[in-house]
Formats: sequence, structure tokens, C-alpha cells
Amino acid sequence: MKSSLKNMVLVLFTITAVSALLVGLVDHITKDTIAQTMQNAKNEAKFKVLGTSASEAEVIADSVYTIGDKFEIIVSTVADKSDNSKVLGYAVDATSITKSGYAGRIQLMVGFVEDGNTSSISGVEVLAQSETPGLGANMTVPGNVLEKSILGKNPQTLKFKVKKDDASGSFDSLTGSTISSRAYVNAVETAYAGYLKARGWLDEGDASSTPTGATATEEDDAKMGATAMSGATATEECAENNDVKEEEK
Amino acid sequence: MGKLQLITKGILKENPTFALILGMCPTIGVTSTAINGMGMGVATMAVLILSNMAISLIKNLIPSKVRIPAFIVVIASFVTIIGMLIKAYLPALDASLGVFIPLIVVNCIILGRAEAFASKNGIVDSALDGVGIGLGFTLSLTIIGAVREVLGSGAIFGVTFAADVMPLLFILAPGGFLVLGYLMVVFNKIAKR
Repeated sequence: MKSSLKNMVLVLFTITAVSALLVGLVDHITKDTIAQTMQNAKNEAKFKVLGTSASEAEVIADSVYTIGDKFEIIVSTVADKSDNSKVLGYAVDATSITKSGYAGRIQLMVGFVEDGNTSSISGVEVLAQSETPGLGANMTVPGNVLEKSILGKNPQTLKFKVKKDDASGSFDSLTGSTISSRAYVNAVETAYAGYLKARGWLDEGDASSTPTGATATEEDDAKMGATAMSGATATEECAENNDVKEEEK
Repeated sequence: MGKLQLITKGILKENPTFALILGMCPTIGVTSTAINGMGMGVATMAVLILSNMAISLIKNLIPSKVRIPAFIVVIASFVTIIGMLIKAYLPALDASLGVFIPLIVVNCIILGRAEAFASKNGIVDSALDGVGIGLGFTLSLTIIGAVREVLGSGAIFGVTFAADVMPLLFILAPGGFLVLGYLMVVFNKIAKR
């Protein structure tokens, strides 16, 4: 077609208008399905981390805690489908708060089960991450070192540090991905804090109600509170973390 | 040019990565493992075939002075729509290829082939050109990904054989450039014969 001004304006206008219309239309059609698919994936993870499935169990309660005004910890109580009084465990949806990964925050679903007075971590699913493929993104691979560090462990006995930062820490880090590993550990720690909060075990001085109450020192409780429950501290530590990140680059 | 030649030229003579040096951004970005490289290649091939056909269909309606913006708008809308459809109706495919799809919009191979081939040829030839260039791209990315995976993380297609001993450099971008450069030398040496 001849490149006259009228032609060019007309053709470009038509193409952009038709494209915009099509993209808008498809967005309108698929928007709800996409949201539904993502919600389904999240729901499935709730059961998966507790070693059960939607056909055997259901969520009987959700408690939501907000940290600062940005972060939500959602603690879902999962119970047997046929007998709702039989609580199977707690699935906690938490984001790394004080530490972000190499390319953004890490969102995890962590499952906690209880046996008498002892709780243990039954499973972890990565809900959202944007780490480097082949490095930090390996946290999504089943059986990775981070997952192995916590599966089946009693969270009370864990020290939420990677071994590289603190020799007494409980977490191995992914090869070459210390920053991603720190964020992962932080997300697990946040999930644990949310779990304690949901179970009413964060109250200081009420040691008898914690699962293995005798070992819980007040210092631990205070630290837990500071890490997860105070927006101001979280922001500060976040800024601090950014400095660390700069250095490592 | 025969129909078969349209396909084979994309693999050797006009290999997008090693001969045309197009699409370097995804090449360095996603080839940290062989599987990722292959995924990006396949996703690109699908879009390339469809966009080549679309451009070939509307080529006579577009004044030549505004062809580039027109192609870009068509390709970008195309990729966005495909991305949304996959996300909504094929979640399993989205989980493995989803991250690559938005990246395809900025892949200059797509625009390059629209401009150099599809805007001058018929719809069948354009589709075949898409197949050929797509295969070439997939092959190159898989090879680069495999080399980087072996050298960087001691694994091949996700199967680890030497964990924790390989130089991490090859997973990171600088190692990607090194591998790309050396493979380019090897490829062109072979192709010139």
C-alpha cells in the first residue's frame, strides 16, 4: 500500500485499535479463570504440605495477621473432612518479611502438625519466587537442601539462620544462593511466628501452653515478636538487608 | 528455494543464535539449564510460526513506512493473548513455559523474521520459515543450556552427577557469554566447511 499520510495514520490506528480490543477481550474472558487457577494452586498447597488432599480434608478456619500494612500471614486450620473436630494440622501462607531474595520476596506455604505437645514441620511448598533459574530457583525442586533442613523437624529446636552466616544455624544453603536461602529461612520463620500466634502460644509468661514450654525462653519469644509482629522493625531490618545485598553484588 | 530447504536453512546457514546473532537477550537469560533453553526455544517457535503467518496475511495492507510499528503491535498483542490463554486454560504448560512467554515479545528474532521474510513471502513459506528458524533457535539454546548446566552445576537435563564442585560462573551471565562465544566459533568453523 502507498505510504501516504492518510494511509499510514489509518492503518496504524486500525491495527492498534483492533489489537487493543482483542487483548482487552481476551483479558476479560480469562481474568477470572486465571485468578481461579491461582487460588486452586494455593488451596492444593494447603493440603499438600500436611500430606493430605482436598478429598480427605478441608479448611475449617482461616486466621489472618497483618504485619505493617503490607504483609499477611494466613493460618489455615485443616481438619478431617468427615470429622471436623479432628484437626490434622495448620497450613501457614507467609512471605519473607525482613529479607527478600535475590529478585523479590519468597512466598511459602508451610505445614505444621502436632503430636501431643510437640509440633513438627510436615511440608513446604514455594508459592511465589523469582530467583535465578538454576540457582535460587532450585528451592522449588523437591528434596532440595533447604527443604531437607526442616522437614519433620520441631520448629522450636530450629535456629532460623543459614549455616554460612551462623555456624549453629539449622539451614544448609542452596549452592551459590545464600541470599535466596536467607529469604527462604525468613519466610519459614515468619510462618512459624504466625503459627505460634494462631495457637495463642506467643503470650509471654504463659510457658505451660507452648508445646515444649520448658525450652521456650522469654528471649526467644521477644525475638519472634520483634521479627514478625512489628512493622517498624521489619522495615528497618529490610533496609539493613538491602545494604547487605549491595555489598554482595 | 525448496520447501525442505526453508526449514534446514534455519538450523545451519541462518541459525538465529550462531549465524544471525539474533535474540541474544533470551539466549543469555534463560540458558542456565538445558531444559530452560529448550522451553524457551519451543515457546518461541510456536509464536514465530503464528506471527509469521499473521504478518504474511496482512503484509499487503500495511504501508511500508509504518511496517515496523505495525509488526510490533501485531506481535505484542499476539504474544499477550497466547500468554493469557495458556495461563487460563493450560496451567500445566504455564508452569513450565509461562515465564518465557512474556519474554518472547522482546525477542528480535520474531520481528527480524517478520521484516526479512514474512513481509515478502506467502503464508505457507512463512510458516515453514518459522519452523526452521524456531528449530534452529531451540537447538542452539538447548546446546548452550546443556554446556552451561554441565560446567556450572554438574548436571545434565536436571540429573546431577557432580554436585557442588563445578564453577558457579557458568550459571551466571558472564559464563553464559563465554560459552556462547566459544560455541559460536565452533559452530561457524563447522558451518563454513
